[in-house]
Amino acid sequence: MALTRRAATNFFAGGDMSASILLLCLAALATLGFFLGRSRALAAAEGKASDLHSRPHYYGVNAALMVLLPALALLALWSVIAPLTIKAQIAQSVPQELVAEGASLDLVMTDVRNLADGLNTAVKQGVISEAKSHSLTTDTTDIRALLGGVGVALGSDVTPEVLGLAKHYRATTRASGLWKTGLVLAAGLAGLMLAYLRTTKEFRARNSVEKTVRAVLVFAAGIAILTTIGIFLALIFNTVEFFRLYNWQDYLFGTTWQPHSGGGASQPLGLVPLLWGTLYISLIALVVAVPIGLFAAIYLAEYASARVRSTVKPLLEVLAGIPSIVYGLFALLTVGPMLMSVFGNEGLGWMQGASSVMTAGLVMGIMLIPFVSSLSDDIITAVPQALRDGSLGLGATPSETIRQVVLPAALPGIVGAVILAASRAIGETMLVVFGAGAAGKLSLNPFEAMTTVTAKIVSQLTGDADFTAPEVLVAYALGTTLFVVTLCLNVLAQIIVSKYREQYT
Amino acid sequence: MTNAASSLYTESARTKKRNSAERRFKAYGLAAIGAGLFFLVVLLWQIIGNGAGAFLQTRLSLPIALDTAAIEKAEGSMMKTSGYNKLIVAGLEGAMEAQGIKAVLDKKAAKALLSSGAPNTLRQFVLKNPDKLGQTVTLSLAGSSRLDGYLKGRVTRDSIADDKAIRPEHLDLADALQGAGLLRKSFNWGFITGNDASDLRPEQSGMGQSVLGSLAMMLVVLAVCLPVSVAASIYLEEFAPKNRLTAFIEVNISNLAAVPSIVYGILALAAFIQFGGGTMGIEAFRASAPLVGGLALSLMTLPTIIIATRAALKAVPQSIRDAALGVGASQMQAVFHHVLPLAMPGIMTGTIIGLAAALGETAPLLLIGMVAFVQTDIASASSFFTDPNVGMPAQIYIWATRADGAWYERAWGGIILLLIFLALMNAVAIFLRRKFERRW
Amino acid sequence: MLDATHPNGPQTETPVSTQSKLSAKDVNVHYGDTHAIKDVNVEIDDKTVTAFIGPSGCGKSTFLRCLNRMNDTIDICRVTGLITLDGEDIYNPKVDPVQLRAKVGMVFQKPNPFPKSIFDNVAYGPRIHGMAADKAALEQIVETALKRAALWGEVKDRLHAPGTGLSGGQQQRLCIARAVATEPEVLLMDEPCSALDPIATAQVEELIDELRQNFSVVIVTHSMQQAARVSQKTAFFHLGNLVEFGETSQIFTNPHDARTESYITGRIG
Repeated sequence: MALTRRAATNFFAGGDMSASILLLCLAALATLGFFLGRSRALAAAEGKASDLHSRPHYYGVNAALMVLLPALALLALWSVIAPLTIKAQIAQSVPQELVAEGASLDLVMTDVRNLADGLNTAVKQGVISEAKSHSLTTDTTDIRALLGGVGVALGSDVTPEVLGLAKHYRATTRASGLWKTGLVLAAGLAGLMLAYLRTTKEFRARNSVEKTVRAVLVFAAGIAILTTIGIFLALIFNTVEFFRLYNWQDYLFGTTWQPHSGGGASQPLGLVPLLWGTLYISLIALVVAVPIGLFAAIYLAEYASARVRSTVKPLLEVLAGIPSIVYGLFALLTVGPMLMSVFGNEGLGWMQGASSVMTAGLVMGIMLIPFVSSLSDDIITAVPQALRDGSLGLGATPSETIRQVVLPAALPGIVGAVILAASRAIGETMLVVFGAGAAGKLSLNPFEAMTTVTAKIVSQLTGDADFTAPEVLVAYALGTTLFVVTLCLNVLAQIIVSKYREQYT
Repeated sequence: MTNAASSLYTESARTKKRNSAERRFKAYGLAAIGAGLFFLVVLLWQIIGNGAGAFLQTRLSLPIALDTAAIEKAEGSMMKTSGYNKLIVAGLEGAMEAQGIKAVLDKKAAKALLSSGAPNTLRQFVLKNPDKLGQTVTLSLAGSSRLDGYLKGRVTRDSIADDKAIRPEHLDLADALQGAGLLRKSFNWGFITGNDASDLRPEQSGMGQSVLGSLAMMLVVLAVCLPVSVAASIYLEEFAPKNRLTAFIEVNISNLAAVPSIVYGILALAAFIQFGGGTMGIEAFRASAPLVGGLALSLMTLPTIIIATRAALKAVPQSIRDAALGVGASQMQAVFHHVLPLAMPGIMTGTIIGLAAALGETAPLLLIGMVAFVQTDIASASSFFTDPNVGMPAQIYIWATRADGAWYERAWGGIILLLIFLALMNAVAIFLRRKFERRW
Repeated sequence: MLDATHPNGPQTETPVSTQSKLSAKDVNVHYGDTHAIKDVNVEIDDKTVTAFIGPSGCGKSTFLRCLNRMNDTIDICRVTGLITLDGEDIYNPKVDPVQLRAKVGMVFQKPNPFPKSIFDNVAYGPRIHGMAADKAALEQIVETALKRAALWGEVKDRLHAPGTGLSGGQQQRLCIARAVATEPEVLLMDEPCSALDPIATAQVEELIDELRQNFSVVIVTHSMQQAARVSQKTAFFHLGNLVEFGETSQIFTNPHDARTESYITGRIG
């Protein structure tokens, strides 16, 4: 609890003036700006709002935006760059011998930061005075005990070098905080002044505000690209790190998967068994989901009355709305034991445990039925009625019409839907965590437990993960593999489906 | 012409064959729908059949003499609860005597029947009601998970053959206690409001903490997704020039919607926890924090909500925009004064459905460590958004991995609660759609 | 929805004594609450072109679709009255609409070739009806049909190219060839030229005249000139009523009904 309190207080009280107070000040300044801008505009028009170029409140909003935008941009920029700069600066002054003692630079830096944070806490709790915190030496005070008293646990005794660095760190951070507060408020005030001076009868306040709003809209649309870049960076950096430690050929073409902690570059981290498990499960899932989903879609689109359709469709879609963890439990506790009673040791003896490729595949198939059926339904109903009329008008039965005219016409779209379903199956995680098994295996027996790419991403990244070890970093390589495979499938499906749609619009 | 001379009234052999092919084909369709509905029924039946038990808890109602001296002694010792345990056992003995039940009530039997949390329940009662000291009160105390399982049929005499915690004679005693009316199942509020409990006390665990964790995450998702998706959609739908960049953004959004959720977990781990919390030192970005979980789910849900929002904007007819522009409104005014309010019901519907999908998502939460064992009291959490917590599906995951019948029951029960929330959200979405849907 | 049987349809089995190929007696059609066709009686002769004319929305297309039960595919559509083909009630429950439509073929307003090759488009009907014993016979049927539709010369070298790749007029002639290939007794044409340019229209009109040698043709058209050019009999529909039915020459030169006269002189419609 003490730890979390410290975190919370630090979050709100980093630096000199707390971030929330700074934000409140800016908000106040912006409000002031709104009323000043509005009243100045009205004064300029001698109270006749219709003489103004824009409605009066636009002048107010313009002033408020002029306060907020530069100030907030500066604040954000400072908050990102300052900690990095300070860190780099401190890191440069770390003496060589500290690092040489077998510790890495990162570890020293962590010590320094922990110590600095601890001193902050101690000062805040009144255990030592601000002045005392600057004059502390390791000779006269047991700093570890002192900080232990305020609930900050340090890993080791404090060396004079680390203490010096921590003091330096605190001083720089403090100075940076002061500069930040001052500059941000100055930027806000400058914006206010500028907006005030620009407010005249002819000033096109609405156009100016709209330009800003438009910029905000563009930024929001850009978040999609930022997310993609984020995913890309998150995967690439760690994957490159992994391949620095581990031979890429062993990963891509290795046929055994047996990670163990401390195994280093020699442990078998082969992708092939995981990929095989993933594809095998997905294949079984598709074998279940595609015929059922497709036939259900055909019936609903071509035969069912409006009433049946409006009842059955939402009911099937309930299957899609059920979270995948529920399917995981269903596989583990219902379908697995059921299969065991037939194929297990008491039955045919093909199955060793409830988790198997078949278990996960069957349940995943059930999960994908509504996905396939609603996509196919959309695609089948997009086939023009004229084609059906043409076929029926020649005396074809409805099923002949569907099989020989509607389905061939819808085929590209349906292929797209199946590819999307496959991509879903490959990316599914919770179901296979419970249903598939834990050991990577290359086997043809569908009743054997195998594991998948997603399940191993989870198992390698949870628990006590050491993020410098290959057996953990491999998860990022697996993530990259997964991302690339699903992305290719999605793009392929989209191209096929959009070509298909063009054909009928 | 093969059937030129034939009458329309007689079905030719070929037509017969074709018609039976027709019936077969139709039957395949019906069978497929039947299979889908069958799976749905089996799934729901399993969930309710296995999970309903979690909402009931076996309790023993016992008269307990709150002996002042014994309680003072217990409070003075290190293991405070063991003193209270003696009082409970004494109460149980008294009740058995009063009902004429003859059985050996050794330490093992008491442990087999009573929850290990029962002494603490008693202690909390005493601390809250010091005036009751010296009196005899009747308290309803939780039974052990084995006893609970026995009354619910999960534990049988066969299944406990190798069980060290409970023996057949304990079950005989349970039968006798039930016969005497001391043992009954009652609604388990603790399951809805309580916290997780340690491995050996499934009977004391509840979903409360994780409901709050999910609530915190949903608030983050709403706060991030609604404004961003509305802004992005307005830009793409109303303002964006048709150029390569716009096309790229559109392709990007539809691709992001299909990225596996686990990848968003990796993104959150790397971007928020390792980079934001680690490299940048932002304290709020910590493993297990609902804030981080919410952000991860936001990124995951955003594309879906943007797609729904764009559809809602697209459904507003061009004539509305023309009308606004025609009276001299700027394009921005036309959008914010007319198009957006008209599209709002559709946007809300899409957002709620997106939130429901985010609520059920588990995989990203695993990677950012939201599977912590959280036992802190709900009330004492210092920060709703940054204290370590779990989400509902993550809690279900934790329980399911404990691999024990009693915990499985809790997991299924948690699923019922989760599905109730999902159903409510979808019902609200459907209500909004029905109530405000416009046909142009 | 593709097909449905008609519980409300007329159920007479007594043959109606008449020389005409198709005959409609007191036919009423309801679309939900709309009364689309009101008490229509019409006789369609063999080897004749009969034109249905009238302003749009007058029910002529709806009535045409009753003649081979294409309206079965519409849920809310209800047909009452008696329609007979060669004296047999086509709405009798014993009648399979599939068999009926093999005898009463249909060509639609917009060319709707299947997304298959030209050959497969034409061979579609003969295949489902099992009309060809072997491949050679099928090829013969396709060639004959394409020749009858005056399309053979243009496509004989690319029979396996997709039918959707043809021009609009060629597509419509392909659809006619497709309908002709099943050797129907009656061919229903629902504004077959409305999507075509004048040259293609002339080709199709010429074709209709050819088809009259073998079939009874019923054509719905919004163009009076076209009706006058191609048909021997004309029926004028107005607001769901059959206002006047007779020899084309009589309808256009000496209409009995004032409404018909107003329409053909351009005062209504």
